[in-house]
Amino acid sequence: MKLAFYALTSCEGCLTTLITNLGPNLEGLWRMFDIDYFKLVREPVGGVRIPKADIAFVEGAVVTDRDRKTLNEIRNNSSFVVALGTCASSGNIAYTASRAVDLDAKHLRDLEISPAEPLSSVVAVDFELSGCPVSAKEFTDALLRLINSMEPIQPDYSVCYECRSKGNPCLLDAKRVCLGPLAMGGCGAACPTVGSPCYSCRGPAVEADLNAYLIVLEKKGIGKERALMMLRMFTGKKAKELLKDEQ
Amino acid sequence: MNSSGKGDIIIDTNELRFIEGHARLQVRMAGGETVAEFQNLEGPRFLSRYLVGKPVEMAPMIASRICGLCYTAHSINAAEAIEKALGIKVSKEVRELRNVLYLANNLRSHMMHLLYLALPSIKGVISIFRLRDEDLYREGTKLLTKSTELIEIWGGRSVHVPNVVVGGFGAAMKGRQLVSSVNDLEGLMNDAMKFAGYAIDLDLPELERYRTLGSLRNPGCYPTYAENASMVLNDGSLLTSNEYFDSITEVTKYYSTSKHAYFRNSELTVGALSRVILNKRHLKPKAKELAERVEWRMNPFLIIKAQAVEVVHYMEELITAGQRLGDIIVEPSKDGVVNSANCSASQAPISDCEGTGRGFFVAEAPRGALCHACEVEGGRIKSYKVYTPTAINSKSIELDATELVKKFRPLGVEKMKLILEDMTRAYDPCLSCAVSLDIY
Repeated sequence: MKLAFYALTSCEGCLTTLITNLGPNLEGLWRMFDIDYFKLVREPVGGVRIPKADIAFVEGAVVTDRDRKTLNEIRNNSSFVVALGTCASSGNIAYTASRAVDLDAKHLRDLEISPAEPLSSVVAVDFELSGCPVSAKEFTDALLRLINSMEPIQPDYSVCYECRSKGNPCLLDAKRVCLGPLAMGGCGAACPTVGSPCYSCRGPAVEADLNAYLIVLEKKGIGKERALMMLRMFTGKKAKELLKDEQ
Repeated sequence: MNSSGKGDIIIDTNELRFIEGHARLQVRMAGGETVAEFQNLEGPRFLSRYLVGKPVEMAPMIASRICGLCYTAHSINAAEAIEKALGIKVSKEVRELRNVLYLANNLRSHMMHLLYLALPSIKGVISIFRLRDEDLYREGTKLLTKSTELIEIWGGRSVHVPNVVVGGFGAAMKGRQLVSSVNDLEGLMNDAMKFAGYAIDLDLPELERYRTLGSLRNPGCYPTYAENASMVLNDGSLLTSNEYFDSITEVTKYYSTSKHAYFRNSELTVGALSRVILNKRHLKPKAKELAERVEWRMNPFLIIKAQAVEVVHYMEELITAGQRLGDIIVEPSKDGVVNSANCSASQAPISDCEGTGRGFFVAEAPRGALCHACEVEGGRIKSYKVYTPTAINSKSIELDATELVKKFRPLGVEKMKLILEDMTRAYDPCLSCAVSLDIY
């Protein structure tokens, strides 16, 4: 079976997470699969061309014309395309940030830069693994299911579920804005566990209910302005749907 | 990509392999002159622009996303710049904890570069996994895994750490685990020495070219993360960090998505080689011993050896820091909550503050001096600027490419392409970082 790993416009934090957090298991992948493209790990097979692959993992948002061209080529050459991380699945911070900049300015136009888009705006995406960065464990689980011809699954619980089961004190109780109730779990509540609020970097949870969340904020006496600002940050394109009544 | 450059392209590397981000190097002949263009192809994500208007406490978390390799440097620099702007003084304990994260991140970044990116091509293999039965791979992997684990334990996650916050450090710290994670390092010292030894003994191309080198200087110790460090140059002159910041100008390049940063309108080389050459005497004993085996010259290929020396140095620094930390760490109470009153490291987080001011911070990130500067008004960020080491080194990469083509021309284009790629890679360029300079 052939695997391929690509990065478009991103910090490459998802690919490096796989390299450093899979540890010896990455070597296992190398033995079990043909990894034909992974720029940080090997010389690509076929030079500058995009090789054929059974599963392609793609990190990053689509920003440059070059990203767009590469992504189309990846789609044409891969049976299953997985968006790796938040940039690829929602456009991440760049989605909102690039829309606040005048991209018609001469230099940017010459460089063929467009507002950031998630992969799904450009090609059909078969599965999205969210997270900024992606979790190495979720990657492994998804890969295991895929090679056994099963559809990978998304966590169907929110960050709060994991946070409370760790016994962390609730940040909302401390009158701090935390997006835990709206955010898709699976990260082990990494941020609230060290006392930093959740910014919903993994996108909305399946049952995210914005209205209910805003009522909770009101009851606790927390203003909603900060929460909405935070929600637009990582959720990128996916925030549109969630915030359609809040424009 | 617009390519309106003058002259004929004589060498085009295409997309460079084994580097962070997307870039290519083109060499042209124009009117008898050889000109090299280091072209960043990475798209901008406008992160520093995005910070404008945001509440100050969001800066470390957003700045972290600039880079997936030196994220800790970005988030710590951001926190420090904001703290300076607000006039917040963090405790000695917070500095110690941030120092550990800085060292662990530099170690991880160097190991990632040496093991996965730089060594395979020099050894003539297509991937480090082709060397997986060699000690080099085993030792290297151990160090990379260990440094990742340190960041995870200390930072709260292995990439984009949530534990760096404006005003202090995240709340919950598992004291015993923290201390033992550093104590384990003693057991890896041998692996580090052996791994660094391989790199030190490599036979690398000769490409000496005089240029200005710059590294922070921290009285009495090797520079990494420190308050009020000054910048020392190889002509012996010393600049305050503010003077250094003021000497940088941004230059737009029509062929690149990222600006270059010029120092006094010319080039400056920052990074591991500059640090080792200018601060050799402050290296820890084992690292110094290794450094003495190399004849240090201004050859970019030696950056690889300098990183290897630093790997050992960072290990030694971490061990010393661990010993100092024994006194600082406070065990969480039974319900897992650290009582801030007992622990001066976890101060109350700053939110909804109203402060106004300017702040600036510079520290030695893996690839060289990294500057963050901000203006804050009424608790919101008014302007934000980032000067990354890759933006500063870009000019040196181009000048070295020109020199390389002059020197190695008899080898022919195909061989030169490979050496050009190795030379660029030796700088450990990070294109995602470089593109984060504001693009206008």
